Amino acid sequence: MTGAALAHVVVSGLATGCIYALVALSLVIVYNATRTLNFAQGEMLMVSAFVAWSAQRAAGLPLLLAFACGVAAGGVLAYVVERVVIRRALSATHWDVLIITLGLSLMLRAGAGMVWTNDELPFPSLFSNRPVSFGPVKIAPVSLGIIGASLVLMLALVMLFRATRFGRAMRAVAQNQNAARLMGISVERVYSGAWVLAAVVGAVGGVLFAPVTFLSTKMGLIAINGFTAAVLGGFGSMPGAVVGGMLLGVIENLAPLYLPTGIRYSVPFLVMIAILLARPRGLFGRVERRKV
Amino acid sequence: MRRTALGLAAVAALGWPLVAPKYLVFLGTLVAVNAVVAIGLNLLSGYTNQLSFGHAGFLAIGAYVAALVTLQVPALPVPLTLLVAGLATALVGLALGIPCLRLEGLYLAMATLAFGFVVTEAITNLDWLTRGNDGLRVPLARLGPWTLDTDAARYYLAVAVAAAMILAALNVAATRTGRAFLAIRTSEIAAQASGINAAAYKTIAFVLSAFYTGVAGGLFAFVVGFLSPDAFDVFLSVDFLVMIILGGLGSVLGSVAGAAIVTVLNDSLAGFQAFRPLIFGAIMIICMLFMPGGLAAMTRRKS
Repeated sequence: MTGAALAHVVVSGLATGCIYALVALSLVIVYNATRTLNFAQGEMLMVSAFVAWSAQRAAGLPLLLAFACGVAAGGVLAYVVERVVIRRALSATHWDVLIITLGLSLMLRAGAGMVWTNDELPFPSLFSNRPVSFGPVKIAPVSLGIIGASLVLMLALVMLFRATRFGRAMRAVAQNQNAARLMGISVERVYSGAWVLAAVVGAVGGVLFAPVTFLSTKMGLIAINGFTAAVLGGFGSMPGAVVGGMLLGVIENLAPLYLPTGIRYSVPFLVMIAILLARPRGLFGRVERRKV
Repeated sequence: MRRTALGLAAVAALGWPLVAPKYLVFLGTLVAVNAVVAIGLNLLSGYTNQLSFGHAGFLAIGAYVAALVTLQVPALPVPLTLLVAGLATALVGLALGIPCLRLEGLYLAMATLAFGFVVTEAITNLDWLTRGNDGLRVPLARLGPWTLDTDAARYYLAVAVAAAMILAALNVAATRTGRAFLAIRTSEIAAQASGINAAAYKTIAFVLSAFYTGVAGGLFAFVVGFLSPDAFDVFLSVDFLVMIILGGLGSVLGSVAGAAIVTVLNDSLAGFQAFRPLIFGAIMIICMLFMPGGLAAMTRRKS
């Protein structure tokens, strides 16, 4: 394998990794605010991608506007779900909420299959698929586009969490809910906000990812890779989610070169099992103390 | 009251193949198989609070072990084959359970989910042994001079095994071990403070759960007669979860009721595949929001 070919594999791995990172971020945002895992995150981004597809196909909107529609629809869906279903289970254990979001993911997937289709659809992309040469290295613009768009979004998130009142409120709730409430932060509003923000981040990942694979109701399974990425980086840590995502994308793309093809599809799962068994707190995670 | 109910249930279960049409006898067999899985999953998830999304993987291991053992030793009596399937799966459960002691909550759930995927991928890729995606035809079960070649015979086999497993689970639940399980579920730290060796009991629960599911897998192999890895996907694991959530976490008889309802529902929705996950998802959400504890909690007397 030449260096140039390797560079190509690594760059496309980084592009996939950026998508994983976005999904991982959306899982972590919800987790940090509500201490629960949203199993339906993958299905929510799938619905966003389908809405974007409809907006472009049926309503004939320009591509960027259609993407914005999809992302906005994802935010609205998350708001409704949080208010109607999740908010009722706030006092329940995290176990219960996990089951509820699992049920939600089944319903969203089945619902999308009925409203749209269970087949795979090609999805329009902003970026071309034809490789461009940088010296000896050939790179597809779509990879660079995904990486660029993801980095911009991540930067925006950093700004949001550092410099806005809402971002600081979210960080406060993540640290200590009771203290945050005593400081006058509406924890409920943070819950809704976290769900919407997570859905928006996930939806951007979805519309970036759909052209690379296909648009289908199975797209939601990417949430498993997102979770693996988040665990790899240390669940709960946002920089960890980004690094974990990139790492997983590159590992997944490099593994087939060195391993028998049979285990190719198991790579994310093997990575997940390995990291959970060897170092459950991940690369950047903290150990959480349990209380009775 | 309870005794008469159990007696009636036993009579109904024994008489079923005499009155029901052939297909419904097959469905009854599936209910029995799924009831064993549901109890196994409940021992782990309901009793010790270790959520598993990978029980289809255990079921697959039990089924393939039973099928391969029968292919090698066709004369082996069925109870022994099932025992081998259960023990082999229990061994895998031990191997998975010990490292999983370090994990809890959603980490454990995701590790078991990954386990389920790895099992089906392994079955697909070990095609010299399992015939991979082409599928494996399971020989008929033998019991001494008899070959279990009718639906009714397989029904009685499954019901007998299920009855034994239900009784065993009820007994386990009533012993020190069962109480330790429930204490761990309520609060692991409080249980430890009361002198319960949580790590040991959680491992026992894992092994026991895997054993139950492995035996059920063996039954499944003989009942269905044909195995392929795509039958054991993650959605099957989710079906098992729906059974125990609906039936009641931490209830043996609830698991049986949940298994019966979900199996029959699954079958009657066969013509409406698209609606199936919609309804199952709704069941999960409604149970969690409005009837935690499932059917078992509704029938329990209020004290």
